[in-house]
Amino acid sequence: MRTKGPLSRYMRWLATISVLAILALGLVACGSDESTATDPAPTTSDSATTSDSATTSDSATTTSTAPTGNDASNGDLLQAPTEDSPEGQITIWDRSGDLYEVFDATIVRFNEKYPNIIVNHLAVDIDAKLQNTLITGTDVPDGVFLDDAKIGGFSDFLWDLSDVLAPYVDDIASQKVDVNTIDGGVFGVPFDLDPGLLYYNETALAEAGVDATLIETYDDLLDAARDYQATNPESGPIHLEQSPFLGQLQLEMFASQLGTSMADAAGELRLDSPEYEQILTFLDTVREEDLGTRAEYLSPTDIAELENGNQVFYPWAIWFSFAPQQLLTETTGDWRAMELPAWEAGGARSGAMGGSSFVLPREGENSELAWLFYEFLMFDEAGYSAVWGPNDVYPTGLNTSIPSYLPAADPTAPLFEPVEALGGQDLWAVATEAGAQIPGGTPLPSWWAGAVDYLGNNIQRMLDGDLNPSEVISRSTDEIQENLVDRQ
Amino acid sequence: MARPRAAPYVFVAPFVAIFLAFSVYPLVFTARLSLTNWRGVGDPMWVGWDNYAYLLTNDRFWSSLWNSAVLWVLIVPVQLVVGVIVAVLLNSAKLQLRGMYRVAFIVPFVMPLVAVAQIWVVLFDEGYGAVNSLLGSVGLPNVGWLTTGTWAKPTLALLFLWKTTGFIVIIMLSGLQSIDSVLYESASLDGASWSRQLRSITVPLIRRTIMFVVVLQTLAVFQMFAEPFVVTQGGPYSSTTTAGYFLYNHINRADLGTGAANSLLLVVLVMALSLMFVRMLRVEDGS
Amino acid sequence: MTRTPRTAQTAKPTGARRLTSGHFGRTLAIQAFLMLLLVAFLAPVVWAILSSLKPANDIIRAPLVFDPSSFSLDNYTAMFEDVPIVRGFGNTGVVLVFKGAITMFFAPLAAYGFAKYDFRGKNAIFGMVLITLMLPTIVLIIPLLLEMKTLGWVNTYQGLILVGAIDAFAIFWMRQVISSVPDELLDAARVDGCSEFGIYWRVIVPIIRPALAGLAVLTIMNIYNDFVWPVVIASSDQRATLQVVLSTLAQNITGNRIGADYATVTGELLAASSVALIPLLILFVLLQRHFINGILAGSVKG
Repeated sequence: MRTKGPLSRYMRWLATISVLAILALGLVACGSDESTATDPAPTTSDSATTSDSATTSDSATTTSTAPTGNDASNGDLLQAPTEDSPEGQITIWDRSGDLYEVFDATIVRFNEKYPNIIVNHLAVDIDAKLQNTLITGTDVPDGVFLDDAKIGGFSDFLWDLSDVLAPYVDDIASQKVDVNTIDGGVFGVPFDLDPGLLYYNETALAEAGVDATLIETYDDLLDAARDYQATNPESGPIHLEQSPFLGQLQLEMFASQLGTSMADAAGELRLDSPEYEQILTFLDTVREEDLGTRAEYLSPTDIAELENGNQVFYPWAIWFSFAPQQLLTETTGDWRAMELPAWEAGGARSGAMGGSSFVLPREGENSELAWLFYEFLMFDEAGYSAVWGPNDVYPTGLNTSIPSYLPAADPTAPLFEPVEALGGQDLWAVATEAGAQIPGGTPLPSWWAGAVDYLGNNIQRMLDGDLNPSEVISRSTDEIQENLVDRQ
Repeated sequence: MARPRAAPYVFVAPFVAIFLAFSVYPLVFTARLSLTNWRGVGDPMWVGWDNYAYLLTNDRFWSSLWNSAVLWVLIVPVQLVVGVIVAVLLNSAKLQLRGMYRVAFIVPFVMPLVAVAQIWVVLFDEGYGAVNSLLGSVGLPNVGWLTTGTWAKPTLALLFLWKTTGFIVIIMLSGLQSIDSVLYESASLDGASWSRQLRSITVPLIRRTIMFVVVLQTLAVFQMFAEPFVVTQGGPYSSTTTAGYFLYNHINRADLGTGAANSLLLVVLVMALSLMFVRMLRVEDGS
Repeated sequence: MTRTPRTAQTAKPTGARRLTSGHFGRTLAIQAFLMLLLVAFLAPVVWAILSSLKPANDIIRAPLVFDPSSFSLDNYTAMFEDVPIVRGFGNTGVVLVFKGAITMFFAPLAAYGFAKYDFRGKNAIFGMVLITLMLPTIVLIIPLLLEMKTLGWVNTYQGLILVGAIDAFAIFWMRQVISSVPDELLDAARVDGCSEFGIYWRVIVPIIRPALAGLAVLTIMNIYNDFVWPVVIASSDQRATLQVVLSTLAQNITGNRIGADYATVTGELLAASSVALIPLLILFVLLQRHFINGILAGSVKG
């Protein structure tokens, strides 16, 4: 059915084109009379039909989008299917690459539990396609892998999952539930928790006589950096991110540690706060005292400075872990991870940086079956073990994030194995313990990525020495308010 | 000489049909959208000229135009000069390796842009890139090609030049076809130097082609989107946020009304620029 | 380098006459200039091809170091395994053949109509050509997609082929080229009893053949490189063209989204891009001779 309809139509269409081309070629001969010359008329009439149908489609389209719009305001709640052995086909979009392959491998396990659900698993350029697909309602998938930062922008098109998630919600990291909650509805099945950690080059630090494990606050980190620099004058021990996007993401990790974020639950800006002042002042101090290496995340410069021992502290999300495993071949094994320093002694030792969830578009045909797929993947031991545990793609397990479902994130029951590149360290324990400290969050505003043009860039200007922390705050607040919040 | 009246209509009809179906309809839709605040869901709300007023009073809109204008200055003149010279050289029948050159200059145009993005980062990385290594070997300081507002535009312009100059050479080559080689032969018999031939025969005779290229590249530079999107994401400090990229930003945030208004403003602008160039062409034709 | 006999004939005597020492120096300078340009144009591509042979991690770690002993086809093997590139080639081939044929047939024809006839509404219609050129694709995507949905053309070849067929750029350029063909030739053919289409086919087309060869190359490349529209209209399992496949592959490393498979994807991407170059290069080598063949030279002017 999928192939035959379009195919026959396509063949007919092809035939028309070919006939026209042949007709036209038949007219090539010179000396033919005038009437032949005007004969390509069929071309005209045929094309005219095309444009006719297009013109009529104009009104049809307008009417067909309108009801879609009306539905949107209802905020439907997805219900789980009730039959014993539900059947049907679901279309699931994932980003290409390692996660696609990891998820793909879980489908077999899923089918052991639900043999009659066929999973059509596609690798899709989600950023390029999702918005257009949802707005136009064309070929809408049943489930999509999506950045947490994007959910706010799409919630009008998504199922409210409050009901189906109710049995699990108390066992999900609160930060992840919060970022998915918009106006009381939960619009995504939380996937991973990405706790911020302090990665450090233990070997290099030990040679300089610095014991990173004693670091408890960001002031301690500054002291450790000063100590390291005293023996390595060329070094810039702390990473300073030069990509405006990732710099803003890292800023939000620091803020998450303090339980705040760019916007509150109502979407009001709250940059102008002592918390942001404190974070930016820390970054500005690193710059001012020349304690940092400014580079874009894993650019050639960044990698070289990590390898030569100039850059030894990397406060970043857990997903930095792949760098020592794959890219830092000279210093692999020298790296370790620990909880982030606290902003005040005794404060939370981690914040969230990035993360994704699964969303279910309301125009999907079998959304309730897609829910079963994600329920299996995230909340069934067979599912989450297949994702994070050793698999074909990652023989020692997927160690660039941890589950947001707390029963799966038990520090004493690791899903992935200790990491050789971290000197055999049990990253699982470090990350899950850090993850447990992440304060609750707020939904990311739909304009979050747009704010990079303002906040992200202003942070970079501060690191250039052109703005001070309070200028970053006041300027970014004004610009974001005018160009993003007020334009909603 | 009397010509049949129907023939030209028949010739342009297929284009008109496709144009009506796939350009006029979206254009009308866009024009309507530009007067609303539609975000892709629900009924569009009429906001009149608000989107236009917002854009026309917005610094960033103007700086996106400014960025494109600077890129235009960096790209189009260079491309014209290099394009004409290379085309003239490649047009010469006695040039050795002519076929190889013709193929080589078009290769960048075929290189998928997503791969180009990777290449550019490696070439222009500040600390360890190939270009700075080269500069360093002759004692020049490192340049923040992709990290400073000053240098990012020239770096992006270089990418665009690298990628599209081969395209322009092909168009120029076709223009050169209309020049009778006898003209050159008699000129060189008269002892006219190569550069003189270039100035007094080649350039005047392919002036229409040159103007065509100017109009074409003006459109391309102001619509430029994919290059900054994959290489610089409009940065650093929005210095490579071109008019085309700025427009994408609205649409990407589902601010479809503002995006539509922005694109119509852009159409008006490039139309005005094109008309200006076409007029310049006509004036020269007349003289 | 085979040349058409005619060019060779005209070139030889001139070349012989000019073979003085000054000319030799100039030839050397020209070659040096072109060589320099050639190196600048090809170096990045050569980097990409050589890098595609390196272990994936080393591409990012040590981008400027090439150790031939570490070269392998691993990235290619992985790429062919992970990426549906063969299907991408197939779909691009289908689109290329039909969209290319439509553009190559109808665009010069329309251009001929614009260049050589006066008819009511001509300026208005040509204005359409210009407007089409000026509209940024991105802004048209949503209305076009709504239209495709109504027509049932989402994820079909029609949607890929007909939208943007009869490229405005091609009309614009060919009008430019055709208007330089002298009217006298057309009138002569008309006296001989050629139909209007016959004039186009028998008179115009042979004269503009080099430009048509150039147009063929640029049309092919434009279709081959296009990804903004195909990414939206074609889904990955069915109708994804080569560029859709590539941009789907690259999404984990472009636009600040470096993922854990950064190295793998980079390796596969460079391998895929190198493979993507091959068919076009072959095509181009075959076509480039036709850009210039001196048909027009001497035979038309006067």
